[in-house]
Amino acid sequence: MAIKSRRLREIPLAFAMLGPSLLVLITFVLYPLGKAVWLGQQTCDVQGKNCKSVGWGQYTNVVKSDQFQHALWVTVKFAMITVPIGLALGVGLAVLADKQLRGMRFFRTIFSSTIATSVAVASLMWLFLLQPSVGVLANLGWLHNIFPVIKEPGLLNDSGTALWSVGISSIWANLGFTFILVTAGLQGVPKEMHESAYVDGAGGWMRFTNVTLPLISPTLLFTTVVLTSRAFQAYGEMDLLTNGGPIPQDSTTTVTYLIYGSSSIIKNNDGLQAAVAVLLFVILLALSALQFRGFGKRVHYGS
Amino acid sequence: MALDTAPKGWRSFARYSMLTIVALFILFPVYTTVIAALKPGNKVLDNPLLPNAFTLDVLKNAWTEGRLGRYLMNTTIVAVIVTSVQLVTSIASAYAFSFLKFPLKRLVFGIFLSTMLVPLEVTLVVNRRTIDSLGWLNSFQGLTVPFIATAFGTFLLRQVFMQIPPDLREAAQMDGLGHWGFMKEVAIPLVRPTLGALGLFSFLSSWNQYLWPSLITTEDDMNTVQTGLRHLASSDLDKPNLIMAGTIIAAVPILIVLVVFQKQLVRGLTAGAVKG
Amino acid sequence: MKTPNKSRLLLAGLTASALLFASCGGGGSSSIIDPGTTKAPASGDSGAPTEPPTTVATPLASLPACDTTALDSATGTVNITFWHGMNGDLEKALTALTDEYNASQTKVKVSLENQGGYEQTLDKYLQSSQDSRPDMVQAPEYAVQVMGDTNSNVPVGACVESAAYDTSDFLPKALNQYFTEGVQWSMPFNVSDPVLYYNKKVFEAAGLDPNKPPTNMAELRTMSQAIVDSGAAAFGLSLDTGADSGGGWFLEQWFAKLGELYSDNDNGRLAPSTKVNFDGQTGIDLLTELQALVNDGLAYNVGDNASGQDALLKLADPKSAAAMTIATSAALGTVLTTVQGGLIPGITTDDIGVGPMPAPGDAVAPGAIVGGASLWIVNHDDPAKAAAVWDFISFLITAESQSTWAAATGYVPVRSSALEVGPIAEKYKTDPRFKVAYDQLSQVADTPASLGAILGPQREIRTLSARAIATVLQGGDVAAALTDAATQANALLSAYIAANQ
Repeated sequence: MAIKSRRLREIPLAFAMLGPSLLVLITFVLYPLGKAVWLGQQTCDVQGKNCKSVGWGQYTNVVKSDQFQHALWVTVKFAMITVPIGLALGVGLAVLADKQLRGMRFFRTIFSSTIATSVAVASLMWLFLLQPSVGVLANLGWLHNIFPVIKEPGLLNDSGTALWSVGISSIWANLGFTFILVTAGLQGVPKEMHESAYVDGAGGWMRFTNVTLPLISPTLLFTTVVLTSRAFQAYGEMDLLTNGGPIPQDSTTTVTYLIYGSSSIIKNNDGLQAAVAVLLFVILLALSALQFRGFGKRVHYGS
Repeated sequence: MALDTAPKGWRSFARYSMLTIVALFILFPVYTTVIAALKPGNKVLDNPLLPNAFTLDVLKNAWTEGRLGRYLMNTTIVAVIVTSVQLVTSIASAYAFSFLKFPLKRLVFGIFLSTMLVPLEVTLVVNRRTIDSLGWLNSFQGLTVPFIATAFGTFLLRQVFMQIPPDLREAAQMDGLGHWGFMKEVAIPLVRPTLGALGLFSFLSSWNQYLWPSLITTEDDMNTVQTGLRHLASSDLDKPNLIMAGTIIAAVPILIVLVVFQKQLVRGLTAGAVKG
Repeated sequence: MKTPNKSRLLLAGLTASALLFASCGGGGSSSIIDPGTTKAPASGDSGAPTEPPTTVATPLASLPACDTTALDSATGTVNITFWHGMNGDLEKALTALTDEYNASQTKVKVSLENQGGYEQTLDKYLQSSQDSRPDMVQAPEYAVQVMGDTNSNVPVGACVESAAYDTSDFLPKALNQYFTEGVQWSMPFNVSDPVLYYNKKVFEAAGLDPNKPPTNMAELRTMSQAIVDSGAAAFGLSLDTGADSGGGWFLEQWFAKLGELYSDNDNGRLAPSTKVNFDGQTGIDLLTELQALVNDGLAYNVGDNASGQDALLKLADPKSAAAMTIATSAALGTVLTTVQGGLIPGITTDDIGVGPMPAPGDAVAPGAIVGGASLWIVNHDDPAKAAAVWDFISFLITAESQSTWAAATGYVPVRSSALEVGPIAEKYKTDPRFKVAYDQLSQVADTPASLGAILGPQREIRTLSARAIATVLQGGDVAAALTDAATQANALLSAYIAANQ
């Protein structure tokens, strides 16, 4: 009885506390999501007006199209470059710096510093490194004598190296983030666990794989999910470094770039843009579910 | 004393060498950027690894010509608004989900959670039209309002609130402590560390927004540092040193914030890994 | 158990993509643009010949009116906003002109709003509601059809009529670029065309006359051979494949030079185009010629690039430079200030030569089509605002303003009287490099072919032709690349017609 009346009595208060958030989330997340799903089966004029439904087959057409499949493949490759390497580097750095030594704070600050660079800042720094005419690497004679691709055509302009170059700049930009996460994870590992393994005679590598890794697995899972989702949504790097090119291979045209890129042939087509964006959402959803299921089972949440 | 932490001879030497090499690799792009930004135009291509000339004019130019001062102020305003309002809305909704009883609670919580999965890309086009129809292009409302509520923050704080035993709330109520008092005396002090972390995390992501501000600003006065940099880059590639100076100006404030709040940052970024 | 994270992630990624790939069953190639998703277009499509389209003249009376006297009756200052896409030195020159205008009178105050570039300006304009649009917008030359289809403008022609403005000394080509359906939609302001930039020092070193740049590709080939053989530079020509340069715009230029239609229905000037012609013999010959230059080591392809300036920067390359490149005349001012700034050691501004854009093959074809952008009046149902915009436009196109503007940037003055006054009169005499672009526009009579195409999805089609050219310059099959690009372009055209008419 008392509970029931309390349920009703607290409605106004709950409404006041949740209302603002609900309003914002519904207006700027759920409504546009629904609208995008609907728009995905429409075709509109250049101003995005006079939209006419052309049927849900538009989604199938997009999935079947060369452009979408290519962009998805590029995106998957980009994720497969940036996520494992980024994670491995982050773990390596964190382990390296996980010692109470003199000056370690200094090194930690350096390792985490790239988190201060936004996409725009990091991409411009790398553009200045990689640009084939005025770039730094292109003006180091000895270096481009060994690797002529640095100058001709340039690491960002060669279809074989463009995605890797963008990937490396992205790994660099995310390294601070990964490092901080893994370091925090490591600090959560109780020292006694290490020591008992040491007493048992486990070697360094064995100790790392058998004791440390399982203990930081929740952190690794979280980092993997975030890095993957960042890789699937990467846009600024391509916008500033490659314009989705080089053409005709479109080596860095990811799904996000296909939607918004300045050289995309659908960038003034609201219907197709929405269809591709919704498909990206579905893929991300499936990926997170897979990651949590597949690797969540093995995650060790401590005792 | 831990058994393997005692630094001994070549082992610690090896570790220091490794640390130094890695640090140099990470700092390399930063180093070339700083070198270029401090050189006059005619020396940029001439030995890009050596500081063979020095001038502060380029930094000054980037500040005035690139209008980065104005953009930094805009970005700061946006980040501060988003962060502080996000904290308030997150506390309020997390509190409601944790301590209030009302019908359809599970459903409403489900709605909150589902928004965490929607990527920004899906909502951009429609949101731009919404902001346009509200007349909020080129305004701080447009730059902030879509981000002032966060399911992530709500979820995070709720996790902490849930640790408070229900009896405590009951007892407080018996003592005549209302919701407001309970929030002030018990709930908020409990989540204070988490709030610091969440705040810093929001600040960072807001500061680094790129796509959204570039979509909804058409007036130069409303550019953020990120969109301003894009502008600088598209206009002056023939002046690489100017662009590099711009990136330094854009990165330094956030670097300072990070060094000062490093502790909160670590907590903020790991907060998502809280087991659920 | 070793590094479960990596293998799991890989597996997850592969599974997700496999799921999607599986659903499409490995059919042949298909484009994301489906011309069949909409009703069949009114004209075009192969099959029975349809009746030839005729120009549908839009009577001015059916369009928003312009009363240029409305400014006189307005009380107080009329504030107008102007979206533009001018960056760097161009922006500085535009700001200087605008400041001059604002200071010269009190009736109108113009606020410049830089949108970051042509593309961004156009995209933001299209996405915005009419209320959020500015009072005046600078739209690139490829946007004529798109801008017209927004039905959001006061045609400049209406103001010209209302003010009885004299356009007799205008370059006919500049006006005609923005004249379709019997309406002068917008006012040319910054007119450019592609020119040849070359390094005179390299020409001298190769034993060539530094004052005789090549006028067509045959000559360019011979000279490049001399340059490469003598070791004066690593390459004769640097090419790019950007949509608004070597990948698209230049292709349209070369068609116009040869007097060939780029698309059907008289380059889209009679009725909306339904197909492009670049997959025909003219296109094949052109690209074969470019491909041979690259294959023989005479030309260097910098590719498409985010900055759009790599082809020019290749001339400044300290180690393996090219002697020439083709780029917009609007870059001349920037090129000269950059060289003056000392970015390239050992080259002074006098060493930069400018020649006409080389014609295909051994053709003698000095003409060019109008590039750059024009000024549009946005209709806000406010006669005073429209009149104020017109007032500002008429300031920007005075002989004096055009002279100042052209001298600062390298753009072409839109009227011949500008050549008699101000800094450009002096400049054209003392520095003939600036006049090359003007001469290219004043030499050939206007026909639909020499005026160039007006297409709805013109920018998108340029990205398609750019892809074809990039394929060819990397050694791909010319005919196949062009056919593929043309097929997709035609699909874009019919999809555009279906959605917008």
